[in-house]
Amino acid sequence: MDWTDWHAYLALGFAVLGVVVLVGYGRSLAGVTRAQRSVRVRGRIEEVRAPRNGGSGRGGISVVVSYREPSTGEEVVVTNDGERGETITAAWTGREIGVHYPRGRPHAYRFSDDPEAAGGRGLGWPNTALFLIYVGLVVVASIDWDWPWALIGVCGPWALIGVCYLPGHVRDVRRRRERLAAMADVPGRIVAVLTDVSSDAEGGVSRTVTPVVAFTTREGVDVTAHCGSGVADPAGAYGREVTVHYPQDDPAGFVLDHAARQRSARSDIAVTVVTLVVVTAAAVVGVVLL
Amino acid sequence: MTTTTVAPPTGATPVDLARGFLTGGVIGVSLTAFIVGCALGKPPLIVGALALLAAYGLLFFLAGAPRRAREAALAPRTALALIEGMEAKQGEETDVPVRFDLTVAPEDASAFRIRISEGVHVSELPDYRPGRVLVVQYPPDRPWRLRIVKRPTPAWEERAAGAAIDSAPGPAAGDRAEGCAWGFVTLLGLLLGAAAVVLFFRAELFDRDADAQPAPPEQSVSVTSSSTSTSVVTTSATGTVSFGPGRSMLDRGALREAVESLTEGGDGKQALTVVVREQLLTVVFSPAGVDAPAFDPRSLPFDRVPALVEEAGTTLGVDSPQTWQLSADRVTGSLTIRVSVTGAGGSASLEADGQGVVVRRSPAR
Repeated sequence: MDWTDWHAYLALGFAVLGVVVLVGYGRSLAGVTRAQRSVRVRGRIEEVRAPRNGGSGRGGISVVVSYREPSTGEEVVVTNDGERGETITAAWTGREIGVHYPRGRPHAYRFSDDPEAAGGRGLGWPNTALFLIYVGLVVVASIDWDWPWALIGVCGPWALIGVCYLPGHVRDVRRRRERLAAMADVPGRIVAVLTDVSSDAEGGVSRTVTPVVAFTTREGVDVTAHCGSGVADPAGAYGREVTVHYPQDDPAGFVLDHAARQRSARSDIAVTVVTLVVVTAAAVVGVVLL
Repeated sequence: MTTTTVAPPTGATPVDLARGFLTGGVIGVSLTAFIVGCALGKPPLIVGALALLAAYGLLFFLAGAPRRAREAALAPRTALALIEGMEAKQGEETDVPVRFDLTVAPEDASAFRIRISEGVHVSELPDYRPGRVLVVQYPPDRPWRLRIVKRPTPAWEERAAGAAIDSAPGPAAGDRAEGCAWGFVTLLGLLLGAAAVVLFFRAELFDRDADAQPAPPEQSVSVTSSSTSTSVVTTSATGTVSFGPGRSMLDRGALREAVESLTEGGDGKQALTVVVREQLLTVVFSPAGVDAPAFDPRSLPFDRVPALVEEAGTTLGVDSPQTWQLSADRVTGSLTIRVSVTGAGGSASLEADGQGVVVRRSPAR
C-alpha cells in the first residue's frame, strides 16, 4: 500500500472529525445541545428506604425525591427506580439533589448529586473528536518525521496542561487537607452489606461487595451511605461499629479511613509535581533527540 | 372488571424483514469488502467498506430518530399488576432472570394478561410470590415493554398494599420476539452480500491465489500439439518434445526435427543439457546472461545417434535392452554424449565426443 494514499484517507478522517467538532461546538454555542436544553430543578430527598442486608448495591440507596415542576408549580414525587442518572450513594432526608429531564419529557428524569450542577455544555462528542484529531496528528508526525515527535506530541501538551492546572490543584489539595482536619467524627454502624455477582461472556465472575454505613451527624441528620473504601473485610462488616468523619457542610463527603486520607493528601502534591517533571523531561528529551 | 388479552405483539412485519435483509446485506458486503480489500491490498476498497458501514449506520440511526422521539415523548403508564405465576432461573449471578405471568389492571383501560422476563436480585425473590400485587410501568402503545417498578412512590406503594386484582383470563401475551424469520432473512442478506463481493472480485482473488503458489522460473509457456500426437512445450528455461505412440526419436530425421522445433526462430539458444529417450526430448536452456558451459543443441551429430544407441544395446553385454537414454552436455569442457541402456542383464553405457565417435565404453556388470 502506498503511504501517500494513507495521508489522503487520514485527511478524509480528519475532515469528518472536523465536521463533528464544528457542528458540536456550533450547537453548543447556539445553546441547542441536549444538555443545554434540559430542564434542571432542585429536588429534595423526602424519604430514605433502609437497604436490605444481602441486597443489591446497583441503583444506589432507594430514595423518594420531590421537586416542583417549574411550568406548573406542581409538586412531583419520584423515586430512583431504574436508570436515573447519577447513583445516589449518600442520602438523608432533606438532602438536596439535582433533577433534570429533557424539555417536555418530565418522565425521563435523571438525578445528579450536585443540585447546582449546570449540566455541562453538551461537548462530549466534539471534544472526543478533537482528541482523536490530536492523537492522529501525533501519530502522523511520529511516523512521517521521527519517533521523538511522539514524545513531544504526547508529553508536550500534557506538560503544558499540567503547568496550567498545578496552582489550582495545589489549592484544591490544601482545601481538602483543611477540610479533612476540620471533620467532625461520630460513631456509625454498618447496617447492610450489599452483594452483586455478575459474570461475563468468558465465564469470568465479578463480585462487588458494598457495605452501607448509617450514622447520625451532630446536627441530628440520619445519613445512610455506601462505603466505596475504608472498610476492612467488607464482606464480614455487617453490624460493625465504625467511626465516621464528615465535613459539617456536606455529610456526603464522609470518610471512614481518616488517617489514610490525610496521609494521601500530604503526598498528593508531591506525586503531581513528580509526574509533571517526568512528563516535561520526556518532552525535552524528545526535542533533544530531534 | 373488564378484562381483555393484550393484543399479542405481531411478529416481524414485511418492513422489518426488508430492513433485516438490508442490514444483513450491508454488513455482509462491508465486512467482505474490508477483508477482500486487505487481501488484495486495495485501500479504496477498505475505506469504502468502512464508509458504507458508517453511512448505513448513520442512515439507520437517522431513519429511526422520528420513531424514537415519538416513543420517548410518550409518558409511560403506571398500573397495578397481579403476579399469576413466576419462574426464576437461578445461577451463580445475583441478578436472576425471572419469567412473570401478570394480570395488569390499568385504571383507565381493560385488564390484560402478559408474560415478561425481568432480572430480580436473588435477595428480593421472596417478594415476588404469586398473588402479590406489584406496581408496573409500560409504554401505552407497547405493553410488551412492561417493567416492574421495584421502587414505587409511596402513593403507589400504598395502593398496591391495599389492592385486590382479579385474574384476567389467559393466555398471556408473550415477549415481543421478531422470530426466526427475521434472523433468517438477516443471515440470508449477510451471506448474499458477502457472496456478491466475492463474486465481483473473483478474478483478482483467484488469480492471486494462483500467483501465490510457488512460481516456476519460466516467463512464457507455449503448448502446441499436432495431429500426430506430438506435443511441444517450450519455456524460457526448458523445452520438451514428446511423441505419441508409433514414433521414435530414432526415426530418420525425427530427433533433428524435434530439436529444431524447440530452437525455432534461429536465435541461437544455447543448451546446458539435452536428454533424449525413446519418445521424449528434453532440452535445458542456458539462462540468459549466465556464463555456463553451454552448446548449440543443433550441433549434435543427429545421424550418429541411432548407431550409438544400437551399439550400446548390442555390444556392451545388456541382454534384451528395454530402455535407453542419451544425454549431452559440456560439463567436462568439450561436448560429451553419454548413451546408457538398461535391460535384463543390467545397464551399460558408452561415451562419445561431439562428432559421435565412441571414446569410452562401460559394459554391463
